[in-house]
Amino acid sequence: MRQALILVVLAFLPGIGQALYFRDKVSWQSPVPASEMVTVAQARAWGRNAIWVDARPDVEFERDHVSGAVPLNEDRWNELLPRFLATWSPEKRVVVYCSSQSCNASREVARRLRHEAQLKNVFVLQGGWEEWLEKK
Amino acid sequence: MKSASSILSFQSSTIPRFVRRIAEFIVGGIFIYAGVIKALDPIRFASDIDNYKILPWTISVRLAFYLPWLEIFCGLALILRRLYLGGLSILAALISVFVIATVAAKVRGLDITCGCFGHASKNWNFSTHLGLDLVLFGLVISLLCACGRNFTTTER
Amino acid sequence: MRTRILAFASSIVICAAAHAELKWEQTAVELHPTATDKEAVGHFKYQNTGSKPVRFESVHTSCGCTAAQTQKDEVPPGEKGEITATFKIGDRTGTQVKTVTVNTDDPVNATTVLTLKAVIPQELEINPSFVFWGQGEAPKPKTIVVRAGKDFSVKQLKVTSSSPDFETKVAQTAKGQFRIDVQPHDTSRDMAATLTIQPEGSSKTFYAMARVTNVPAVQ
Repeated sequence: MRQALILVVLAFLPGIGQALYFRDKVSWQSPVPASEMVTVAQARAWGRNAIWVDARPDVEFERDHVSGAVPLNEDRWNELLPRFLATWSPEKRVVVYCSSQSCNASREVARRLRHEAQLKNVFVLQGGWEEWLEKK
Repeated sequence: MKSASSILSFQSSTIPRFVRRIAEFIVGGIFIYAGVIKALDPIRFASDIDNYKILPWTISVRLAFYLPWLEIFCGLALILRRLYLGGLSILAALISVFVIATVAAKVRGLDITCGCFGHASKNWNFSTHLGLDLVLFGLVISLLCACGRNFTTTER
Repeated sequence: MRTRILAFASSIVICAAAHAELKWEQTAVELHPTATDKEAVGHFKYQNTGSKPVRFESVHTSCGCTAAQTQKDEVPPGEKGEITATFKIGDRTGTQVKTVTVNTDDPVNATTVLTLKAVIPQELEINPSFVFWGQGEAPKPKTIVVRAGKDFSVKQLKVTSSSPDFETKVAQTAKGQFRIDVQPHDTSRDMAATLTIQPEGSSKTFYAMARVTNVPAVQ
């Protein structure tokens, strides 16, 4: 028991050291890496350099959306992607949002933009549409 | 204060000493290797743990920075025969958890790429994962049993 | 004394027996829709093995693309039923995992999470699905690699561009693997094209995009 305890404590030392080294590179609160998430305030600060992408279903987009946002959801990906890409340009930052922090659609759309279309500077909006409304 | 060190010495047993030593090197070596692989990319290991959907992310990510080092130290304990019993006990507990989590993931239909070897085992199927975990478990338990029956400690 | 213990134990057993309990045949279902399916449907069967009725309080899904239907609002003791989860595939690819959270008035297991995993076969893998040139960038060809999916055999590929401003050349590089070289005629203005990719003998159509942007190329 004592031996096990010593090993358990010993392992903490390099673990803590490594965690400190990685502290800015890791998202400690949510699975999306910190560098791929953006707050409402940060995204707003980008102004015209941001392209807003609404990953929610069509009916929710039509009800209300971020002004100037482009719809792009997985239901109609093939149809909506060309419209989005026509507005995209390499110096712009793409901000993808869905309903809330727990909604997965924005992460999936962001993932496909990064891996399939190989776009850089694609971010997921922290808190999603709910957070946007709150900060409005 | 007197410092005392204890040495683990093995009496003769049904399992020859060299066989036990080989088993210690195999198990210890595998765990050191597994720990190093995961320690090299703790962020990926964190998402592998998260894939099991057993623990919340906040715990998975912290475990990802700790578990690999625990494996490395326990592997070293086996090979160097220091803190030997403690190392064996922890490894037995770790493998049990891996086996239960792997089976639970399979039952829940989750697509898992993490077992003992983190992302290095991403192309292994369920049977391979479980098979290796069970073999390791068997070796660890055999070493524990051999230890329990035959060791004496000598205080110096 | 013995009688009292027996009576006490019996009362505990009887109390424990008078409960509601929904037992699920399985809480995780894996589906393998075909490449042309529009939906994948999972059936989650249950039975009330308790002695009191179980009421469904809420059923909600992790995604708007999944709809869940209960057959009844209340399940009498001994009765069986099922929850049907219909996942609209849309243009999704790869392995999709969706959950259905079921809340009941069962005091022991009030919440059950049902998992629907759909493995969507991908007939073609297109990488990248988007190529672009900056304005003024040399109009050299850029390559899109197309690979046939694991269980698919693609012998030929037909590629058409929606705009005459972009030329495409298709060549087979290996079994089930092709390269599409895309080249704009010039890069002096903003223009775009949708490339329609059709595997021979397949009813499904795939797309890639090509564009000359309105900003200079980033060096």
